[in-house]
Amino acid sequence: MNDIVKDYFPLVVFIAVAVVIALPLMIAPFVIAYKKPDPEKLSAYECGFNAFDDARMKFDVRFYLVAILFIIFDLEVSFLFPWAVAFGDVGVFGFWSMMVFLAVLTIGFIYEWKKGALEWD
Amino acid sequence: MSDFNLVDFFWTWVWPLALIIIHSAAILVILMTVIAYVLYADRKIWAAVQIRRGPNVVGPWGLLQSFADLLKFALKEPVIPSGANKGVYLLAPLVSCVLALAAWAVIPVAEGWAVADINVGVLYIFAISSLGVYGIIMAGWASNSKYAFLGALRSAAQMVSYEVSIGFVIITVLLCVGSLNLGDIVAAQDTQFGLLGWYWLPLLPMFVVFFVSALAETNRPPFDLVEAESELVAGFMVEYGSTPYMLFMLSEYVAIMTMCSMGTILFLGGWLSPIPFPPFTWVPGVIWFSLKALALFFMFAMVKAFVPRYRYDQLMRLGWKVFLPLSLAMVVIVAGILQYTGWAVK
Amino acid sequence: MNQALQFPALQALYPEILLVVGAMALLMLGVFRGDRSTGAVNGFAVLLLVAAGILVCLQDGTASAFHGSFVSDPFARFLKVVALIGSAVTIVLATEFLSAPHRQRYEFAILIMLATAGMMVLISATDLIALYLGLELMSLSLYVIAALDRDSLRSTEAGLKYFVLGALSSGMLLYGSSLVYGFTGTVEFAGIAKAAQNGGLGLTFGLVFLFAGLCFKVSAVPFHMWTPDVYEGAPTPVTAFFASAPKVAAMSVFVRASMTAFPGIAEQWQQIIVFVSIASMVLGGFAGIGQTNIKRLMAYSSIGNMGYALIGLAAGSPDGVQSVLIYVSLYVAMTLGMFACIIAMRRADGPVEKIADLAGLARTKPAMAFFLAMLLFSLAGVPPLAGFFGKFYVFLAAMKAGLYTLAILGVLASVVAAYYYLAIVKIMYFDEPATPFEPMRGELKTVLAVSGLFVLLFFVYPAPLVEAAAAAAKSLF
Repeated sequence: MNDIVKDYFPLVVFIAVAVVIALPLMIAPFVIAYKKPDPEKLSAYECGFNAFDDARMKFDVRFYLVAILFIIFDLEVSFLFPWAVAFGDVGVFGFWSMMVFLAVLTIGFIYEWKKGALEWD
Repeated sequence: MSDFNLVDFFWTWVWPLALIIIHSAAILVILMTVIAYVLYADRKIWAAVQIRRGPNVVGPWGLLQSFADLLKFALKEPVIPSGANKGVYLLAPLVSCVLALAAWAVIPVAEGWAVADINVGVLYIFAISSLGVYGIIMAGWASNSKYAFLGALRSAAQMVSYEVSIGFVIITVLLCVGSLNLGDIVAAQDTQFGLLGWYWLPLLPMFVVFFVSALAETNRPPFDLVEAESELVAGFMVEYGSTPYMLFMLSEYVAIMTMCSMGTILFLGGWLSPIPFPPFTWVPGVIWFSLKALALFFMFAMVKAFVPRYRYDQLMRLGWKVFLPLSLAMVVIVAGILQYTGWAVK
Repeated sequence: MNQALQFPALQALYPEILLVVGAMALLMLGVFRGDRSTGAVNGFAVLLLVAAGILVCLQDGTASAFHGSFVSDPFARFLKVVALIGSAVTIVLATEFLSAPHRQRYEFAILIMLATAGMMVLISATDLIALYLGLELMSLSLYVIAALDRDSLRSTEAGLKYFVLGALSSGMLLYGSSLVYGFTGTVEFAGIAKAAQNGGLGLTFGLVFLFAGLCFKVSAVPFHMWTPDVYEGAPTPVTAFFASAPKVAAMSVFVRASMTAFPGIAEQWQQIIVFVSIASMVLGGFAGIGQTNIKRLMAYSSIGNMGYALIGLAAGSPDGVQSVLIYVSLYVAMTLGMFACIIAMRRADGPVEKIADLAGLARTKPAMAFFLAMLLFSLAGVPPLAGFFGKFYVFLAAMKAGLYTLAILGVLASVVAAYYYLAIVKIMYFDEPATPFEPMRGELKTVLAVSGLFVLLFFVYPAPLVEAAAAAAKSLF
């Protein structure tokens, strides 16, 4: 076994064991529990009313906005990971390169803030 | 193969595999048991704050309550709504639960005890915990119910918002450590100052941000808008019952314990003894680790009992307008200090 | 310490740094002062573009940065100045458009600046990574600018179309780049040239994909489909921008990539360029005839003009490159003048853009009609106007390189195209006057007059441009 396999193979085994534990829990009631479905029981819950229309409806565009902002900032974090780990080796130049990058992102952040992209009321 | 040797095969492949399986199963079973009592503790603490007794019927002082709950869930009728996408609907709790459990593969509860001691441990946990959103989105969408859909949207937005701050918090710690290995992070906090040398003190603002973000990331009160019973009844879980519901609850508590362990590793010195000389150093690391993680969980439980629920706009404001700038600024400050004092790890 | 971690020498890209930092500063100014700062932001943006142009002119010799992936040589500087002029004039042209209360958007000038910074990186790029970086910075800004008038259905549609097709072309360009990288093992143009001596099927595939992406950016046939819709839908000042500076940048990277990265397989890319060039000229000539909307007409005109410019590239010689540079700069000058007129086509109840609206312009606005006619004659290639010289140099280079068929087809296509340019002149001078336009604003008058006089008097003293282009072309060989 080479090193990478040695390091990561236990992960795969662990996840498999987790599945083996979770799956029986999930299946158990389908096997042992009492079942008597009827149309009312199987309808979507809407506080006692019949469902008005399909639940997959239009929703607020701000959720998209949050998703977009998340992608930007999470990417930023992903860039920071290797930089942080190698921080002692990248030196002053590495430090300032990342500061420039963060500054550019901060300007974007200020822009979106002032534009109201973070308002939720 | 001509030189196939059954004994060799056993010792190079089967035996290590069996060891890993036993190790994993042991960790998972212990974790599940701990979760059972953490759940019990959560209810007891909540009850105590409200001057109630909490669960006290099943077993002595109600200690077997969680196991009774398990049995009850397993015997409940499983309902799959007629409008639901059956496959995704059933997959969602499984995904949630397995992902939540998967994080525990790398958590070192004591030196060298992790199942997989990988070099990118922090990154792995960060990635796995972001995948948790998928279970929720799948559940909310597959249920085909308005409450579930809205709850899933809110939950997803909330989790991704706070994940950014958690990412920055992790970065500040990594700056001080210079490694993504969880064992190295703990080892880096091993100084002669004991608990004063752990990162909670120099990085105190980040510890606070981490704690609050962890509350939000795991949908705990005061950020449990996802299942805000006054408006969304139970959020994305509204159509679930029986063990699928239980798996969501389980994964939520596993995620909480993961966050407590992360807090312990990043800020509270992991398995290290708070006072760095005997007899305290004789106590096994796993005891210290458990104590610290459970202390953090106690804070989680107390917050749930004390703090009123946030409104959704307040939640988003806190995440994007307070924590994000704060943690970003801290990354810059910590990096600057490390760079110009020469403390950076070479 | 590692060599890679030293502070790099950045002199070569001071103009770009100035533009980007300036753009961010203006963004902050705009976002804190609100939309009423639009005028100030526009003013500062023009100043910064001019300052960047001066910095470009002050550079000397050949300087490179980032381990040779960015170079400032005479070729780059020549085209940067042209692109900067195009961008600055566009902001001037947009002043009126942006002064309407509901259209006050300071982002316009900032996006133009960022797009220009992207173009400058693109023009200076000497490896595939820098090329892609510059291209994306430019394109992403352009997608947003196209949809700037976001309450207008046509503008958003144009933005969306441009975005979808542009993303597709970027994808093709990336596929091509990765193929080229895979088959040569390097992303640097010089290294590719060395490794590509003998060609190979995989490399040719990569080259075709790369050229497809670039053809999209210069809107050459068969990747021109977006052009008419986007030109028509986008607000007119935005169309003016699309037709000028980005074309310069895309053409420059086209030339630099083919000349410095693929000289070894010139025979193969020449076939592609010859085909693309003929197809663009012919389509630009014939499809323009039926148009009634002047912005659509300009779209086909730009497709055709890019076809002529590509003739120079097909020649693949220093003369050819020189002719491309001359052609592109003259094209920018004429286009900006044309758009000054189109923006001035405004009646009391709003802007109009039908060709028929120009009827009888000679009687209602003789000066505007005169300059517009000069520009149209020049676009048609009538001597002794500037456009004639552009075409002359291009065809001359093609003849020298032995591409007689291409040159002849080019001449024929330009005769076809001349039909619709001259038809507009006829409408202006011989048709019954339509309702007169509103008075032309000062800045439009200035741009039109400068552009018209340049076109008219270019033949008197063409030496500076021709010599600068020759020097620029030499730096590639």
